[in-house]
Amino acid sequence: MDNECLLACAVGVPVAGAFLMPLVGRASKTVRNLLSLILITVPLGASIALIPTVLAGKTVYISAAMPLGFNISLAADGLAVFMAIVSSFISAVIALYSFDYIDHYENQDEYYLMIVLFLGSMMGICYSANLIPLYIFWELTALSSWRLIGFFREEHFVKRADKAFLTTVFGALLMLLGFIMIGQQAGSFELAVIRDKLAAEPVSAVAAGLVIAGILAKSATLPFHTWLPDAGVAPSPVTALLHAAVLVKIGVYAYARIFVATIAAGAFWDQAIPAIALASTLVSAGAALVETDIKRIIAYSTVSQIGFIFLGLSSGTELGVTGALLFILMHGIAKAGLFLSAGIIEQKTHVRDITKLGGLVKTMPVTAVSFLLCAFSVMGIPPFGGFFSKYMVITGALSGGRTALAIAFAACGFLTIVYLFRLFNAVFLKEAPSQEILVKEGSHTMVFSIAMLAVLSVAGGLLVSYPAEFGLEAVKQIMGLVK
Amino acid sequence: MSELNLVLPIAVPIIAGILVLPFRAARGTVHAIITFAVAAFTLALSLALFGSEAALSVPWAPFGLDFSLRLYSFSAFILVAAAGFGTLISLYAAAFMRGKEKQNQFYGYFLLTMGLVNGAVLSDNLLLMLFFWEGLLVPLYGMIAIGSEKSYRTATKALIIVGASDLCMMLGIAMVYSITGTLTISKVSVATGSALGSAAFILMAIGAFSKAGSIPFHSWIPDAARAAALPFMAILPASLEKLLGIYFLSRICLDLFALTPDSWLSVLLMALGCVTIIIAVLMALIQKEYKRLLSYHAISQVGYMVLGIGTAVPIGIMGGIFHMINHAIYKSCLFLTGGAVEHRAGTTQLEKLGGLRAAMPVTCICFLVAAASISGVPPFNGFFSKEMVYAGALERGPVFYIFAVIGSFFTAASFLKLGHAVYFDRKGDGMERVREASPAMLIPMVALALLCVVFGVWNAWPLDTLIAPSIAASGVTPGETHGGASVFLVVMTCVALGGAILNHLSGYHITRRGFTAVDHIHETPGLSWAYERAENRYNDIYDLGKRALVFCARLLMKVDRAVDWVFERLAVAAAYATTARLRALQTGNYSLYIVLCLAGAAAVVAYLVQ
Repeated sequence: MDNECLLACAVGVPVAGAFLMPLVGRASKTVRNLLSLILITVPLGASIALIPTVLAGKTVYISAAMPLGFNISLAADGLAVFMAIVSSFISAVIALYSFDYIDHYENQDEYYLMIVLFLGSMMGICYSANLIPLYIFWELTALSSWRLIGFFREEHFVKRADKAFLTTVFGALLMLLGFIMIGQQAGSFELAVIRDKLAAEPVSAVAAGLVIAGILAKSATLPFHTWLPDAGVAPSPVTALLHAAVLVKIGVYAYARIFVATIAAGAFWDQAIPAIALASTLVSAGAALVETDIKRIIAYSTVSQIGFIFLGLSSGTELGVTGALLFILMHGIAKAGLFLSAGIIEQKTHVRDITKLGGLVKTMPVTAVSFLLCAFSVMGIPPFGGFFSKYMVITGALSGGRTALAIAFAACGFLTIVYLFRLFNAVFLKEAPSQEILVKEGSHTMVFSIAMLAVLSVAGGLLVSYPAEFGLEAVKQIMGLVK
Repeated sequence: MSELNLVLPIAVPIIAGILVLPFRAARGTVHAIITFAVAAFTLALSLALFGSEAALSVPWAPFGLDFSLRLYSFSAFILVAAAGFGTLISLYAAAFMRGKEKQNQFYGYFLLTMGLVNGAVLSDNLLLMLFFWEGLLVPLYGMIAIGSEKSYRTATKALIIVGASDLCMMLGIAMVYSITGTLTISKVSVATGSALGSAAFILMAIGAFSKAGSIPFHSWIPDAARAAALPFMAILPASLEKLLGIYFLSRICLDLFALTPDSWLSVLLMALGCVTIIIAVLMALIQKEYKRLLSYHAISQVGYMVLGIGTAVPIGIMGGIFHMINHAIYKSCLFLTGGAVEHRAGTTQLEKLGGLRAAMPVTCICFLVAAASISGVPPFNGFFSKEMVYAGALERGPVFYIFAVIGSFFTAASFLKLGHAVYFDRKGDGMERVREASPAMLIPMVALALLCVVFGVWNAWPLDTLIAPSIAASGVTPGETHGGASVFLVVMTCVALGGAILNHLSGYHITRRGFTAVDHIHETPGLSWAYERAENRYNDIYDLGKRALVFCARLLMKVDRAVDWVFERLAVAAAYATTARLRALQTGNYSLYIVLCLAGAAAVVAYLVQ
């Protein structure tokens, strides 16, 4: 298969295939489940197959012309392939986990439809080379995550889903305004054209600000972050998919794609973004220290870690941006592991309040160890992958001359250690408040999924050279373009 | 010798550790044998490597992260020492841990620790070193957490304190990288003149202090003495962590930054050393529990090493490093005697112990030798290294010297109390059936006690073969140092020791019990107030930090809730209010609609015309 075809498959197969789910689901649940996994692994395989091409420094590009410059154009460069592999891989693990998890509930067809559609639109965002398809796929992810968060039909849950949808769509509309302003200025929505046209004349701070508002809303960053902890009412695989691995990374990816690879955000936002990131990291770390609901703690932790990614991306150094890409990978793996572990605990004990949990290390040893290993990775303790990404992000900021920010973020890294250990101790080590809470391990598939993520967190550290080299190549490709 | 041999001391223990970890064992004999064999192998290997120089460098990841190891005089010395302690303590642990729970975890973490320490010592790349160094957090947490049901609290405390200082070190390394653009230790040289350079020095020194267990990063150690199994105390806080912390502190001061005596950072180090000596020894003095008392001394003695290295004069640096190795020897020996007593007598409370010299003669003799060493009694090893530190301190200023001697006085006083209470004094209840420890426990103790004598009487040997080459590699000329303590210093030391004996006798005279012999100091007005606060943990950096953190977190949570209120309430209320207004326009009155339509059309036309 040639590269253009691979690229089209990576986006087209899951987006189109998603709508088969309800039909196949009528016939057989097993086939539907397997098909969903296949539909998610197709873009993974296609993206992996694109690696040699992009490592050679080439960009694969396809485009379908549309009136008014709304071309559906896709391009695969190092950054896009990196992001696509990370998100489709983690999604595949989460889909595997959800076979057993979701088995007990209604509306499964809708669930699989939305999961695959979500992943497909995520691929669309990764590979978009035009602002218009980028926006369309962006809203598609909002739509599917709205249904996924509202998977359980209680009124309260549906309201939370609405909140998430409204916040992100509000941001997206602002972003659309920004896109239109950028498009007007450049005369095209094609990213490559925008890059060439706007190299000399930077976009206005307002246009950049509007786009950034959309990005912050999607990436759950202060002041648009509170929908994320509230969205914890979703089934755990969904929270893992949305909060940890994929959805919140859309925003940071768009930041990298637009403001690192295409245009300069301007002096004001170059200063403001890391400051916002710091405030977001700090506030949510504080909230994670106070919260008592497992999933809310982990969700706040995600908000907190997203700040590190923004720090790296806005550092303006190769080291920092590469660190941010690594951070997306390592954090995605480890945080997915944490959410899925929390899912096992929630499903087995029906309790999410950490004050009512305890002592689970005895009855759920594999979950406990996997949780701890993933937590170590999020904290950034070697030999886990998170160590390198955190180091690189902070060093990148330092090398970019932001000493005070780097120190503040190191302090936030310390808070990460504190709140994750508070959580681990409370759930697994503290004396159990009652005997009923001591339940058995989750199903084999579920435990296998989290153990795999834990092992990957270790592997991510020991074999850090591969993602780091690849990330560096991707960063060199995009940073060489914007000066 | 092939360069790849450098990887073995790291890889073999780590792989063995990972293999041992998953397999539970009732008695743990196999685990113990594997651990001992691996430790002995590492010792043999590091002895074979000793004296040679080798370097290995393989690119690992971009941005200066190379997997580079360097064997030279200093790292080879620490490697041998670490493997030596590992071997002796693993032998001891085989006897101590037999039949206990979670042995697989204990031995697994033990082996991991050995491998990681070797890695940190051999690394010639700052980030690689941090990789091993910070990786030690994992077995550290594990080893404390398996102590008992409640030990996880202490484990978390240790992890958080050490983790915080490791983060400081990471920042320091990041600063060094942004200043010099390289992470290779043998190529880095930073001037401490600039603000960033000084900050990098202090941050990295914090990492080293914390590993060595200096104040204020010490407070988990006495807690761990209670919570964790004893071999843990002997291997980590007593020996390997000291070796690593002081090794790295010397590397920072000598290689990375080239600290000079006229730098304010040197004064800072010396001041910190003195504070550590005095505060920790005063805390040690009043302890009524064997292991906890020792653990405070493990903190206090770091002060001498930091003071010695901080002097930045050759004799002080040599003294500091010599004290490091001596301390590791006598302190692990002391912890092992404590473990033997715990194993046989079933308690380490001084009040319940007493008169064990007859039942446990060998343990008693080992204790006496090691206690004499730590108190600085000639001709044991501690005496010589302390004299060198004194000489260095005196060269830099009498204040530092006076603090160091006062520290000596209290050290001697507290060991008189400890020895008296445990091995002499009248027999405690239930002490009749106590027997001497098993050979596996005695051999390491006797070996360490002998080393105390060897390193003391023949002190020229370790100084010439181990320490002088180590610092010579960093360009420091040792000069004439061996046993060259001046008459003044020796006399002063004897005065301090004599004072301690008099103090002990007078205290004993009042209460007639060994373990209360220093109560008169404990109850001194002023001091007793400070003691009460310290005992109630008013000064514990961890508890203070925890309170501050909870306060800040609540505050941040308020910010979070305020932001949420904007979305959850304000936005909704605003939407309802706006739509209510708009709804009010829908009156059903056609004429109003027509007027609005025309106004709208006029606005569009006006915009287009313009």
